Amino acid sequence: MTDRIDLEADIGEVLVTEDQIRTKVAELGARIGADYADRRLTLVSVLKGSLPFMADLMRTIPVPVRIDLMEVSSYGGSSTESSGLVRILKDLSASIEGEDVLIVEDIIDTGLTLNYLLRYLRGKNPKSLRICTLLDKPARRLVDIAVDYVGFTIPDQFVVGYGLDYREYYRNLRFVGVLRPEVYTSGD
Amino acid sequence: MIAPVPAPATRGDPVDPGDPAEGVVQPGAWPLVAADEPEPWPRADRPEPSFAHASEAEMARILDFYRVRWEYEPHTFPILWNLDGAVVESFAPDFWLPDLGLYLEMTTLRQKLVRKKNRKLRRVLELYPDLRVKLFYARDFRALMLKFGRLALVEELSGASGHLGPDRGPEAADALSSVAAASDMTAGDDTPGDIA
Repeated sequence: MTDRIDLEADIGEVLVTEDQIRTKVAELGARIGADYADRRLTLVSVLKGSLPFMADLMRTIPVPVRIDLMEVSSYGGSSTESSGLVRILKDLSASIEGEDVLIVEDIIDTGLTLNYLLRYLRGKNPKSLRICTLLDKPARRLVDIAVDYVGFTIPDQFVVGYGLDYREYYRNLRFVGVLRPEVYTSGD
Repeated sequence: MIAPVPAPATRGDPVDPGDPAEGVVQPGAWPLVAADEPEPWPRADRPEPSFAHASEAEMARILDFYRVRWEYEPHTFPILWNLDGAVVESFAPDFWLPDLGLYLEMTTLRQKLVRKKNRKLRRVLELYPDLRVKLFYARDFRALMLKFGRLALVEELSGASGHLGPDRGPEAADALSSVAAASDMTAGDDTPGDIA
């Protein structure tokens, strides 16, 4: 990777525009509101990528919601050491036992992280547990997981923006874009 | 309406790990772990199998990391028989993921060998339509490495440079893969053309 980061020039293609995201988030919020009518809902956001989506989505859901945040370690994420096991870096701050819970994800590709998270959260005995993702990349799926709310199904490309990162950068883009390959191949 | 949370999936019967006193341990023999209790994970208790390719070893580490149980080449599926009924070609997927009911086949070698493997996979699915097999191509492996920030390792973990073992170096792989590509009548999935 080159040292210089250019938030505009490094993006080869805008895959989902800011307007498309705004419209889709409103649609999802309305659907979720209808499905959970007369109920209370706990949104669990998976850090860090889903933060912008969570912030926008929660404001479009017309039922009482409370929010919680979790963070799960990623393979090879902390260092070059490849051994180890996935672990919870930040756990729920309150019990979800007996609660309707909706996991809010930025993107689902292999499903490995979500598979682990689902097993973990089921052990907390929520009343219901469903999944909402802004982006779904089914071409990469290893673990078949039923996703209840999908914003956009995207092709098999490396995307950044609206929370999604490459080496922790590009999260602040207001759209989802395809990172130019030379950004992650040069110097690697 | 919101469906209630289903009961945590059971892991099935624990796999007999064999008699440690005799040093017999089945590959992928994990003690039973409740689905809702990820800890502890007994990875250290299990010897690593002899992977044919570095990309397979990396995939095993990834599956371990995410606590997905796997077995390495536990099953072989005959796909071609001669007139005497003897098996002359078979397919042994690299990984069996019992909790997911999925076979995973890594194929990070050259395109002509990928075509051969695609043909094998089509034949397997004709004969065993209930099997769920995911073919993991070089581009899939590259994308996975990119996702995990390990793109710099792709070259050494994939293709001919990723072969493991004393007689499975790049030169041997090139020579033997030519033989394999020239003939579909291979003895099974352990031919070099299929080892990555």
